[in-house]
Amino acid sequence: MLAPKRMSRLLIAASRDQLSPVIAELYRHHLFHIEEYVDSGADGYEGFRIGAPLSGASEASTDLLKIRAIENAVSINAEDIEFRAVGARPELMAKIEWELPLLEREVEELTGRRLKLEIRVKELQQKIQEIMPFSEVPFDLDLLRGYKEFSVFAGYVAREPPLTVPSEVYFAKGKEKSFIIVIVLAVQRDAVEKALQGSAFLAVQIPEESGSAQKRITDYTGQIASAVEEISEIAKKLDEVKTKHAGFLVACEEVLRAEVEKTEAPLRFATTRQTFVAEGWVPSESVDAVSSDLVKATGGKIYVTVIPTDIEHDSVPVEYNNPSFAKPIQLFMDVYSRPKYTEVDPTLMLAIVFPLFFGLILGDFGYGLILLALAFVLGRFMKGEDGQQFLKVLRNASISTIIFGLLFSEFLGAKLLWEPLLPSRHLNIGGEATGHGAAIPDLMVLSLWIGILHITLGRVLGMYNHAKQDHGEHRTKTVMANFGWLAVMWGLVIAIWSFVPIPLMPDLRGLPAIMSGVAIGCIIGAVFIVLGVVFIARDAVLEVIELPTIISHVLSYTRLVAVGLSSVAIAMIVNYMSIEKLISPGLEDLSIVGILMILVGVVIFLLGHTLNVALGILGGGLHSIRLHYVEFFTKFYKGGGKKYVPFGMKRRFTEE
Amino acid sequence: MVAEAIVPSVDVGMTIEQIKATQIGMKAVGAGVAVGLTGIGTAVAEMGIGSAAVGAVAENKDMFGVALLFTVIPETIVIFGLVVALLVLFV
Repeated sequence: MLAPKRMSRLLIAASRDQLSPVIAELYRHHLFHIEEYVDSGADGYEGFRIGAPLSGASEASTDLLKIRAIENAVSINAEDIEFRAVGARPELMAKIEWELPLLEREVEELTGRRLKLEIRVKELQQKIQEIMPFSEVPFDLDLLRGYKEFSVFAGYVAREPPLTVPSEVYFAKGKEKSFIIVIVLAVQRDAVEKALQGSAFLAVQIPEESGSAQKRITDYTGQIASAVEEISEIAKKLDEVKTKHAGFLVACEEVLRAEVEKTEAPLRFATTRQTFVAEGWVPSESVDAVSSDLVKATGGKIYVTVIPTDIEHDSVPVEYNNPSFAKPIQLFMDVYSRPKYTEVDPTLMLAIVFPLFFGLILGDFGYGLILLALAFVLGRFMKGEDGQQFLKVLRNASISTIIFGLLFSEFLGAKLLWEPLLPSRHLNIGGEATGHGAAIPDLMVLSLWIGILHITLGRVLGMYNHAKQDHGEHRTKTVMANFGWLAVMWGLVIAIWSFVPIPLMPDLRGLPAIMSGVAIGCIIGAVFIVLGVVFIARDAVLEVIELPTIISHVLSYTRLVAVGLSSVAIAMIVNYMSIEKLISPGLEDLSIVGILMILVGVVIFLLGHTLNVALGILGGGLHSIRLHYVEFFTKFYKGGGKKYVPFGMKRRFTEE
Repeated sequence: MVAEAIVPSVDVGMTIEQIKATQIGMKAVGAGVAVGLTGIGTAVAEMGIGSAAVGAVAENKDMFGVALLFTVIPETIVIFGLVVALLVLFV
């Protein structure tokens, strides 16, 4: 909690004939993050080379390629397929031997035919495009070609050209441009060309066709239709292949992927002619289990040891170590950046505060229920891991929304039966205009308090991180600088308290004045500010220009209220428009007009609240996460840790 | 309250009710201007970020989270506008 999982660096050395049992064992454990061996002549690794793949690697990769090609052709995505074990490895390997080539031939034949047909369709469309200009021409197309003594011009002109030489002309007037065909003696070609150029002539190629243009077009259209039909038949057949073999294909892919990863693992190890050495990271708690299993698998012909970790220079892979309720939010941590091995992992804080912020912003019993239902319904359709995690985050946020909805006494913008337990957010809109209205100053101050405390927490964590990571004088300076930021913020707050009375905050105006009438609070505040600035400047002078961010970051938390109030306002206006202005009057007078009014009112009600729910997810989610990323994390969090990717895989469709 | 104190001393040919109504109207105008102008400010800022973000996401889908984050950073401006509007209207 609050720190990544402890890792130990494991060194494995054995003779080369133990490679395959060792790899199989490591793969089964799915815990060993391989530190790849680079042939750079590092200390103690003189004479080592990168290993060669085990036998069977190239066959497995070829088969894997084939399977992926088939999956692509019939568009199968393993993410969309239910978890289920299709079979054990040996059984599948046998099946791959004799079933895969058949399947491959079938799919290849189908996709090949489809490709040919698609090309044919394109060609036919091209031909139709060429004939199109001649579609109105009343004579056969072969009359336009094959002359020795005559030249034929066909194309579009802006206006009818004045032709002075004897010629045969077909002219069809169009709206913007007219189509023209001119046949003249070849010797008089130049004169006609000139005349045509004068009327903005745009030549069209004469198609290599015979018969009437209209007939050719119908003919080709028919051919296209039959080709398209054939294509759709092929698509149907491919779909059949998909439904019949999807499970088999994804299982095969999984088996082969495992095979390829295993056989290619030696490429990441250091080897000599007789031995190999593998280095990697294993969670400290599993070191014993992994080493004893390795010893067992090789019959004791192996050397496994933990080498001490050098926090400064080793890049230790980072695996989260969170209680189960905080796991889904790791998704949002990875979006920002994975924590470094040495710093505080704020996932747990994010997991607690994010739903709170979300609930505080949306805070409506009805919307909370809708979101909860949405999370469950979507959960049935989304199969991917990330999607599921995201929905769990949404579920937590909606539960918090329900709780805050009860505290704010809000149901789709209307009031529940009791008075709000928190400062009211009910605005004076419509029928509720008689109420007290929203307690906006209280809400604002509440959000400022949250901001001040959240930022204080961030700075304290910053001090802790720097104390842990830095050394010597630099360490003192950075820790003091973080303290300086805190001092300036609190100094400002105390100074403001001693000037202005603010609800829900201490009023320091009553404190005795000392030193020529200046209140004591003011002096304490000023001392804090000056001290803080000095501490900040001692670490980095340029940081001082960032001082205004103290105010803007704290004020930024007012979005918790502002965004929330805007969603309340939208909900109340929707209710006012639909219920008060349309549905209630409609119910009083049940004529045709009244029923129409009710219908329109219902439509407005549904549309308005749907829009508001969508805005609520966006507003509540984005603003909450942004407050963390921008205002909170910038105070202490660096990130940039290396992801822990253990050797092995989570099997979904196969058994060992 | 300050404005109400001035009321008797200003003679602009309006009754007190009219002046009060005008004050409420001016408040509403102020709130509208606050939200509207900050909205434009946010829009201008998000315009550049948004187009760059879409470009980045097209290059690399993993950028989506960070791109979205960058895009909403100027949202603060309009939030401040909204806060000012709320203060003008209700405090």
